[in-house]
Amino acid sequence: MRILLIEDDAETAAYIARGFREHGHAVDHRTEACDGLAAGGAENFDVMIVDRMLPGMDGLSVVKTLRGGGVKTPILFLTTMTGIDDRVEGLNAGGDDYLAKPFDFFELLARANALARRPPLTGHVLELRVGDLELNLLKREVRRGGQPIDLQQKEFQLLEFLMRHAGHVVTRTMLLEGVWNYHFDPKTNIVETHISRLRSKIDKGRVELLHTIRGSGYCLRAPAAAS
Amino acid sequence: MRLPRLLKSVSFRLAAFYAAAFGASVLVLGTVIYFTASAAFDNQIHARMAAESSALLDIYRQSGLTGLRAAIATRQGHRLYLGLEYGIYDARGVLREGTLPPARPASGWSHVTGPPDGDEEPGDDEEMMVVATPLPGGEMLAVGDDLQSREEFDEAILKTFGLGLALSLTLAAAGGALVSSLFLRRVDAITQSAEAIIQGDMAHRIALRGTGDDLDALSTTLNRMLDRIASLVEAMRQVTNDVAHDLRTPIGRLRQSLDDARRAPASEAELRDAMSRAIDQTDSILATFAALLRIAQVEAGSRRAGFRTVDLSALVEGIVQTFAPAAEDAGMTLTATIAPGVTTVGDAELLTQMIVNLVENALAHTSKGTRIAIALSPTAAIAVSDDGPGIPPDARGRIFQRFYRLDASRRTGGSGLGLSLVAAIAELHGAAIALDNNAPGLRVTVSLSCR
Repeated sequence: MRILLIEDDAETAAYIARGFREHGHAVDHRTEACDGLAAGGAENFDVMIVDRMLPGMDGLSVVKTLRGGGVKTPILFLTTMTGIDDRVEGLNAGGDDYLAKPFDFFELLARANALARRPPLTGHVLELRVGDLELNLLKREVRRGGQPIDLQQKEFQLLEFLMRHAGHVVTRTMLLEGVWNYHFDPKTNIVETHISRLRSKIDKGRVELLHTIRGSGYCLRAPAAAS
Repeated sequence: MRLPRLLKSVSFRLAAFYAAAFGASVLVLGTVIYFTASAAFDNQIHARMAAESSALLDIYRQSGLTGLRAAIATRQGHRLYLGLEYGIYDARGVLREGTLPPARPASGWSHVTGPPDGDEEPGDDEEMMVVATPLPGGEMLAVGDDLQSREEFDEAILKTFGLGLALSLTLAAAGGALVSSLFLRRVDAITQSAEAIIQGDMAHRIALRGTGDDLDALSTTLNRMLDRIASLVEAMRQVTNDVAHDLRTPIGRLRQSLDDARRAPASEAELRDAMSRAIDQTDSILATFAALLRIAQVEAGSRRAGFRTVDLSALVEGIVQTFAPAAEDAGMTLTATIAPGVTTVGDAELLTQMIVNLVENALAHTSKGTRIAIALSPTAAIAVSDDGPGIPPDARGRIFQRFYRLDASRRTGGSGLGLSLVAAIAELHGAAIALDNNAPGLRVTVSLSCR
């Protein structure tokens, strides 16, 4: 991935850049809003990571300007502004995702990955498939190796999210936001509970598709891709 | 100093305005009455003089000039016969009979002045209205009436109305001044109370008169506002204290972990372990800050602008589906009774968090085998009950305070902020919270309004 990072705090920027480079990605770092704007408008990036509070210009305005100029690169906002409304504001301005500081690097990595490889929105997908696991959105049916699997509603939504992000790590927070629409951190381990139930229904006695990635999250992937 | 303030006061201005309006209406009324009455008076004089003139002409026609002179002489004998005066002028214009002024008046109606006859103001001439009729013999018959009575009549009307006007203006001004000074005294009392509060006496309140009038209603509202401000200030002070106290412990522990790791790292694995612990501790401190911020944001009330219709039945159903498996894994049961199609107006995200917090509170503070029940009534009351240990009645008032934890629950962790957020969200939605003994256990009911 080629990432544009617009962040004025040197330490945070170094932490992010080091993390991405360790995982084999290229990071272009800009401290100033206008430099970032120029770079974002001129070059092709897979993802842009924009701090909300920049000297001289609000990150929100940077993103609005980029979007106004027709730049379609996925953008993730980083912010210490954890206000409930700030998220909505950021997304309305043209951001695609929103992550509050302080954050875990794996969280940022997983989200950047998910954004960079977001499939183009070409119509409605009615059937998802990972290995021999099929999910039919219209009939709300799940089959593995042709065998029907009975899922509860939340398990179905969880599986749908995992299948849409197949091959990528999704974090607990991404699941809470994407599946439950919870923008807070419940104390109960609801994600773990639902993952373990889902796993026992789709993976039990079969080749494992749903993997737990220690310290970061979960990944659903076809056996051939596992290495 | 006192008077200008009085003049500036709203009630005095109102009184002055009313006095002016009243005075103007008295003036208009007076003018109308004056002109109507004068016209009627004039008509009466004219009619009387015309009648007298024609009576005299009749006499002239029957008895000639001699008879006319005799009739006039008779009439003038009784000087005040009808109060009129007469004159007969010969063809040369010389007054031959009567008391009218010597100059012959023109034919028809006219005003004439003559020498004073005693009933007018000193120095003024006699003012008369005269009707002159030429006689066939070349003479002129004139009948005149002293206009003095008419002037007196005018004066009487003007005096009466002038007096009335002056009296009403005086009364209005005095009344206005009295009412405003009474009103000002009470406004001053409110101002003084406010000053006392500004000076730091936060417990001071505006005294009520108990009459339930507008000013009492205003004072009651102001007092309620002061109560609200006082409780907010107190809450803020409390929070500052609590934050300082409650965060010392976890930050102290974090410091210990880091210190341990620095001093005696036996192996890399142990060092990583200590680091992980330190990160967990940091996360829990950050979570506490996040929770505090969220409560503050909810309490600020700005979320109210984004209220929408929320399908409560679906929202509660989703929470039950989400938490029932977790409850089951913890050896508890979570059941629900949900009335269908219940909606309210609110913030779906916050309402979700509120119910989740109530459910998590029940999960966290009860043990294996506990039955937790969620009920949504058709009137949008959400009740979360458990058959756990419950809470002592004396603690019920405090469990919604930030950082408050029952002694029994200190071991089980938690920030002590979950129920504070519940209270803040309920308050934002104007919902009442009731804590009841579920015999055994606790039942928390949040009564939203169904819309």
